Amino acid sequence: MKDNPDTVHDFPHTQSAHCESGVAANLLSHRGLHFSEAMAFGIGAGLFFGYLPFIRVNGLPLVTYRSAAGTILKRLGRLPGVVIEQKRFRDRKRAMDELDGLLAKGVPVGLQTGVFWLPYFPAALRFHFNAHNLVVYGKEGGDYLISDPVFAGPVRCAAEDLARARFASGALAPRGKMYTLTRVPQHLDRGPHIIKAIDSVCRTMVASRFPLIGIRGIRLLANRVERWPKRLGEDRAALHLGHVVRMQEEIGTGGGGFRFMYAAFLQESAEVLGDDFLRDCSATLTEAGDRWRHFAVMAARVCKKRPRPDDTYTAMATQIRQCASLEENVFRQLGNWLRD
Amino acid sequence: MNTEQNSSDPRIDNDLKTVSYVANNNGLQELTPGSIWDPVHTVNEQAWREIEKQIASSRRKITAGKRSPLHYYMTANQMSADLLARYTHQSRWRVRLHLLPFFFKMMGGKTLKNYADFFKISVEDLQNGRLKPPLYAHHEG
Repeated sequence: MKDNPDTVHDFPHTQSAHCESGVAANLLSHRGLHFSEAMAFGIGAGLFFGYLPFIRVNGLPLVTYRSAAGTILKRLGRLPGVVIEQKRFRDRKRAMDELDGLLAKGVPVGLQTGVFWLPYFPAALRFHFNAHNLVVYGKEGGDYLISDPVFAGPVRCAAEDLARARFASGALAPRGKMYTLTRVPQHLDRGPHIIKAIDSVCRTMVASRFPLIGIRGIRLLANRVERWPKRLGEDRAALHLGHVVRMQEEIGTGGGGFRFMYAAFLQESAEVLGDDFLRDCSATLTEAGDRWRHFAVMAARVCKKRPRPDDTYTAMATQIRQCASLEENVFRQLGNWLRD
Repeated sequence: MNTEQNSSDPRIDNDLKTVSYVANNNGLQELTPGSIWDPVHTVNEQAWREIEKQIASSRRKITAGKRSPLHYYMTANQMSADLLARYTHQSRWRVRLHLLPFFFKMMGGKTLKNYADFFKISVEDLQNGRLKPPLYAHHEG
């Protein structure tokens, strides 16, 4: 790996709130098809809710505010004229050699990686999370030049560390996954794709028969939160609560469990389609995001063991139920709007 | 929205600069630079306190001779026996046995080196039970 000459290319790095939509937007924009992060997130149908207690993350129930890792890229790859080539590897050396080969040709490469192995992350954020996306755009000495969308500027990473990150094990193991944009259309009429993507999100949020996802999942979470202190005791309940807040607000969500990012998408779509109704939906979703944040603030005080008198689990459950009502409102209205 | 507490606490995230979506005065969402939101900071600290507790308990077990030094390295790197087994290409029960001092002492040089390389420590450190900082602390200044 080391005898390859340096390859440094220009890559427009734009910092974004969420890694997968950020990488997608940066890669598309690099090829001349301008995409904002929020638009990539929206057309990729990234918004979701799921409370899946039978899947455990560090022994705590999985709560997710976004669709499964990789969905956004998959959906963007289905846009007419866009071709994303994706590859996984068994062998570490081959995976790195192919990456070098592409870089030598001047192709920026998207990678799925495990955050725990990336030394440029602050130590406090290095958890075992394996679905972090980034773009490698060059190599200098033994270091790869990386555009990691959640960082303010480009970063560097030693070859050995990047190899470890690409072959992280555990849940969502990347198995060396790398992807490149091989074809991009010159123009894209976004309207129909926006509508299709909104339809898909509406369906999972309000029309799912599965009680753990969408609005029903949010209500289920509210009921569970209410019972946590009794079922788990104060300490475990606080840990569970902290975990929900982390999934909702951690770096990469854009705040409010991706609700603000989706609101930004609706707002942008209102302009593309010339329909003010979407702007109203965006405002309601912003309100829902604010509620989620309100819940997070209360939860953080409980986790800090400095609760105010009205920071009870019942009060937090009520907040979550209000989020559910607001979101139900938005997505039912959007559903009706789609049918008109 | 902001909390009034803990703005004077040291940031465990090195005050990483991030961007997030914030509604402006007209209610429009804008990508806005800032630091990690305070409540997130609080729950991250909570998560680390939990990890530190587990590390402390692991150290106690090693001193008491109930677990091998490998248990410390596994815990400090936030791994389970299952995950460590996958990383080191072994079966789960083999790793579980190595967590016990009795089987740890019988481990061959090759296996020891496998573990030591993985945790970026020397074989002697592992064998003599020197408990070095975890992987994610190596690059911190």
